[in-house]
Amino acid sequence: MARALFILLPFLLGNLARGVELDFARDVRPVLSDACYHCHGPDAKVRKAKLRLHDRAAALEAGVIADGEMLRRLTSDDPDERMPPVDSNRPLRDTDRAKLVEWLRDGAAWPSDDRHWAFVPPKRPRLAKVQDADWSRNGIDHFVLARLEREGLAPSPEAGKATLLRRVTLDLTGLPPTLTELDAFLGDQSPGAYAKAVDSLLDSPRYGEHMALDWMEASRYADTDGYQNDRLRYMWVWRDWLIRALNDNMPFDRFITEQMAGDLLPNRNFFTQVATGFNRNHRINSEGGSIPDEWIVEYVADRVETMGTMFLGLTLNCARCHDHKYDPIAQNDFYRLFAFFNAIDEAGLGPNNGNSPPFIPVPKSWPDLSVKEAQFVVPEPMKIKVVQTSVPRPQPGATNTVMVLHELPKPRDTYRLERGLYDQPDKSERLHPATPPVLGQWNDQWPRNRLGLARWLVNPAHPLTARVTLNRMWQRYFGVGLVKTSENFGVQGESPSHPALLDWLATEFIRHRWDIKAMHRLIVTSATYRQSSSASSTLLKRDPENRLLSRGPRKRLTPYSIRDAALFTSDLLNGKIGGPSVKPYMPPGIWRSISNASYKQDKGDKLYRRGMYTYWRRTVPPPTMMTFNAAAREFCTVRNELTTTPLQALTMMNNKTFVEASRFLAERMMKPKGQGPRQRIAEAFRRVTSRDPRKAELDLLINDFQFYQKDFQKNPKAAKRLISLGERPRDSRQPTAQLAAYTLLANTLLNLDEAVMQN
Amino acid sequence: MKPLTELHMQYTRRAFLGRSTLGLGGIALGSLLNAQAANRNAIAGLADLTHFAPKAKRVIYLFQSGGPSQLDLFDHKPNLAKRFGEEVPESIYPAERKTTMTSGQKSFPCAPSTLKFAQHGQAGTWLSHALPHLAKCIDDVCIIKSMHTEAINHDPAAMMFQTGSVIPGRPSMGAWVSYGLGSANANLPSFVALTSNGRAKAGQPLYDRLWGAGFLPGRFQGVKFRAQGDPILDLYNPTGVTRSQRRRMLDSLNKLNQKQASRFNDPAIATRIAQYELAFRMQMSVPELIDVQREPQHILDQYGPDATKVGKYAYNCLLARRLAERGVRFIQLYHRGWDAHNNAPKQVPAQCRDTDRPTAALLLDLKQRGMLDDTLVIWGGEFGRTVYCQGNLTQEVYGRDHHPNCFTYWMAGGGVRGGMTYGETDDYSVNVTENPVHVHDLQATIMHQLGIDHERLTYRHQGRYFRLTDVHGKVVKAVLG
Repeated sequence: MARALFILLPFLLGNLARGVELDFARDVRPVLSDACYHCHGPDAKVRKAKLRLHDRAAALEAGVIADGEMLRRLTSDDPDERMPPVDSNRPLRDTDRAKLVEWLRDGAAWPSDDRHWAFVPPKRPRLAKVQDADWSRNGIDHFVLARLEREGLAPSPEAGKATLLRRVTLDLTGLPPTLTELDAFLGDQSPGAYAKAVDSLLDSPRYGEHMALDWMEASRYADTDGYQNDRLRYMWVWRDWLIRALNDNMPFDRFITEQMAGDLLPNRNFFTQVATGFNRNHRINSEGGSIPDEWIVEYVADRVETMGTMFLGLTLNCARCHDHKYDPIAQNDFYRLFAFFNAIDEAGLGPNNGNSPPFIPVPKSWPDLSVKEAQFVVPEPMKIKVVQTSVPRPQPGATNTVMVLHELPKPRDTYRLERGLYDQPDKSERLHPATPPVLGQWNDQWPRNRLGLARWLVNPAHPLTARVTLNRMWQRYFGVGLVKTSENFGVQGESPSHPALLDWLATEFIRHRWDIKAMHRLIVTSATYRQSSSASSTLLKRDPENRLLSRGPRKRLTPYSIRDAALFTSDLLNGKIGGPSVKPYMPPGIWRSISNASYKQDKGDKLYRRGMYTYWRRTVPPPTMMTFNAAAREFCTVRNELTTTPLQALTMMNNKTFVEASRFLAERMMKPKGQGPRQRIAEAFRRVTSRDPRKAELDLLINDFQFYQKDFQKNPKAAKRLISLGERPRDSRQPTAQLAAYTLLANTLLNLDEAVMQN
Repeated sequence: MKPLTELHMQYTRRAFLGRSTLGLGGIALGSLLNAQAANRNAIAGLADLTHFAPKAKRVIYLFQSGGPSQLDLFDHKPNLAKRFGEEVPESIYPAERKTTMTSGQKSFPCAPSTLKFAQHGQAGTWLSHALPHLAKCIDDVCIIKSMHTEAINHDPAAMMFQTGSVIPGRPSMGAWVSYGLGSANANLPSFVALTSNGRAKAGQPLYDRLWGAGFLPGRFQGVKFRAQGDPILDLYNPTGVTRSQRRRMLDSLNKLNQKQASRFNDPAIATRIAQYELAFRMQMSVPELIDVQREPQHILDQYGPDATKVGKYAYNCLLARRLAERGVRFIQLYHRGWDAHNNAPKQVPAQCRDTDRPTAALLLDLKQRGMLDDTLVIWGGEFGRTVYCQGNLTQEVYGRDHHPNCFTYWMAGGGVRGGMTYGETDDYSVNVTENPVHVHDLQATIMHQLGIDHERLTYRHQGRYFRLTDVHGKVVKAVLG
């Protein structure tokens, strides 16, 4: 076995190294971490043989590297010797083992500054040098092109104008372009046409709605509490705040600070207070009999975890029960962060329907508040009432309130919790709010509370916040982040595909004073983004995920956009922005069958609001959204795996929303007088896909239409049944069979791959 | 259905294999390419599974939501009768882990079961009179009296059984099995959830995350069969649309999408085409599956009068057998209504009237088809009930609060020893005194019977290798045949 490995070595390493020397941080530590840290890493409790391979000095001192022990163990055939132990379930791929072997045989270079790349603050890199001086449109492209040139690849040509407008319109607003927008753009031959289109999309109020969705998913926004009977809450005012902040292009540092500590700001007001709802979006347990202390711990831990995932890109929750197994975060570090959030005047048990304190009343005039109404409000103090023998419940906040953060006069004591359990505090040491030293300096000018924590996060010298944010932004455009594991920048996360580009973007963000729209503009106007997304078979084989960025992004629409786009192209979409959640169509008994609550569907215009306003019951989330891989809003989620399933096909073909939208698209097709099927179908095709159909495509669809029409003429009852679906009355002037046939045809269009994809 | 071109088939096969789509997300092409595949292991699971020869090919888990009372069903305590109304000593039942529904009670009086117990079968297994049908097949059943858990409230306790963790976010057991073993039927999901209400029409809510995929890809989540509307959401064509119209639409969609595929060279398009075809096939296979009227009368009689009532526990038991026959790997029923806080002597037998006969019928039915040997059937809820009375105690009426320290599960078939009672509890049925079985142990045992080493079935998420049993769990070897 050992011999076989050495024979294979050049082959195994061939792809990887190509003469490039192994870099400790990039090549070696990830393998050490994955295969060895579990027993020889940061967690002192399970450490074996006192070996600390995560610590340079300790590892070198141990001698196993210098005396050949480690090499011997890695290459031994003896199951008692071999590392990782055969029965340990620590997988070590042959290529990775070969890497370690190569590293050890070459003298095991371990630089003295061996900090994990993500913990070193980004330094602004120089623009990469490229041979093709003409291709780049902005800084992004220099880095992308330099890499492509190194790999011997060329970028793809620019996407066609129509494709590009569809791509950027969907990316920035979640809706496809209208035919008018499309025609205007195609007709505008000026060099600034694209930039102009981008600017107007960034100015569209649809932008804020669409951008809010990722943030809502990450901050686990929902309309219910999430445990057991899943009681109701009222947080839509926070969602309104979010949409508005994004549309107003609030700088990102302020955006975070208000959400983390809007109640502690020197110039706090009603709006900054509403912003803090971000940290109340977590689940709350109202189940009778629950032990309050147990659940307060969950809420506070959830806030730490959410902050870790969203801003730091770290799996802080791993350190809740023990020292982090891979990253230099001790269990005490977790509870010092915990201490920042352990001072809220909140209850462990929810009130059973309604907002849980602290909450504040929302004036009727929201969001257009008078000067007086816009002032900071002190929440009414918590009043606990004991019901059902000994269940302590707080008072519920009514529909006209919103949950916020508010500090206790004196914070709760924070201790390290053994195995993370509420009833196992280590009372030998009280822990005070502090940030992990490895993640950057604390400035003593900052208060030791959430406001200080926010200041720390948005400190330009912070190694993670800007990188993590820009990486998520990149992910939304290209489907995959520069760091693929957008939720984990730690040692076990994936290394960036373009490290210099990531650092350049992060520093650019700060240089632009955290201007979010400027960064969106930067990305969508880059030559990288504007490439065509088609790939040759060779390229596809070489780079299936497009990590090298030699082509434009091709990705599926979000669950929300799939529905919104269908409503939009059929002219059913209700464009109202903000306000309470709505209850569109839902299959029968969807709540009732599994709980004691029933779903009362809305009527009229409310059925056609954008998907982001759909009532989100956490334990029974809207099935259509879930079928298309929406986040369940249980906990912070920043990356959803997209899958393709037959349930999606069934939804798009048979779900009431999509059938009604098909019928409406059909009516829209039939509205212009004096047109034949060819014109009508061609125009609808273009509405859905933003391009003209080719002749063969159109012929096929016209044949289908005629087939359906004949069918329905033979069976007018069936036609009538089909076109009677949905609550919006149909246009009774239209001939039944024809409308039914166009409905099926429109349904075909909405089911096209092109309808749900961005090319 | 029009045949696809050879070229396209090669293309889609490549795309399919390349993406290694599993479970419901990818079970299409197996049978698109090979019609016989439906009865074989159509879709591979993980390459290194199973870890050893499985005893069970599938699982039917009859989850009794709300927490059935072990004291009134299985855990016979004849000596308790004389302690009626006495305080349960604090040395036996410490104050800390009582729910806040009863922790404030001034008194914790002992409430012996009013239900009669008798011994059954060759093994002489003790059972309450509320379970006359189970009594008849008790020699196929292994009773575990020593189950215990940490969670004391419904939601976290149920999540613990489903996912191995009290905090939502982990994959459910059925999702793990789908991920590990793949699907054995190309036309049906590999994990199906079925829910039913107790007579009281109240009870604990059953949330989607009980059969969720957690951090596993979404295609591994359980597909819920529904009692109202379409059996699977949006399964049927809209009214007025015929199957031939749908076929034509799909043919056109396939052609148009294929053009798109050649333009963009994206294998995901082939996957999409395949999923539309699977959806079309499911429109046929599911109605056939749920048509329980096709069963002979004597089988229907066995399951009782509710056997043909969609959404009833009896119907779900019969459906479970039909799903099992068709190769569905993990079938989980959830029956509500066991949360006997107020009147256990009335509520427990009422629940049994709905469930005992169909449960026993399922065991018999599997057995007479020779399927019990390789089908593991599991019965149990999220925790047990307290021996002390919740509320006022009378000779006829007592309530029981949640009790995590000891409760009863049973298993049958799938290589488990029948006619056995495992584990022991103290005189009060408060604490385990012998052979404790933790939730993780049960999970490890279930996985073991499916040929899976629970320590080796892992999924990397957030940089860590997660498993169903967290870092715990021991296979309970003593209950295995």
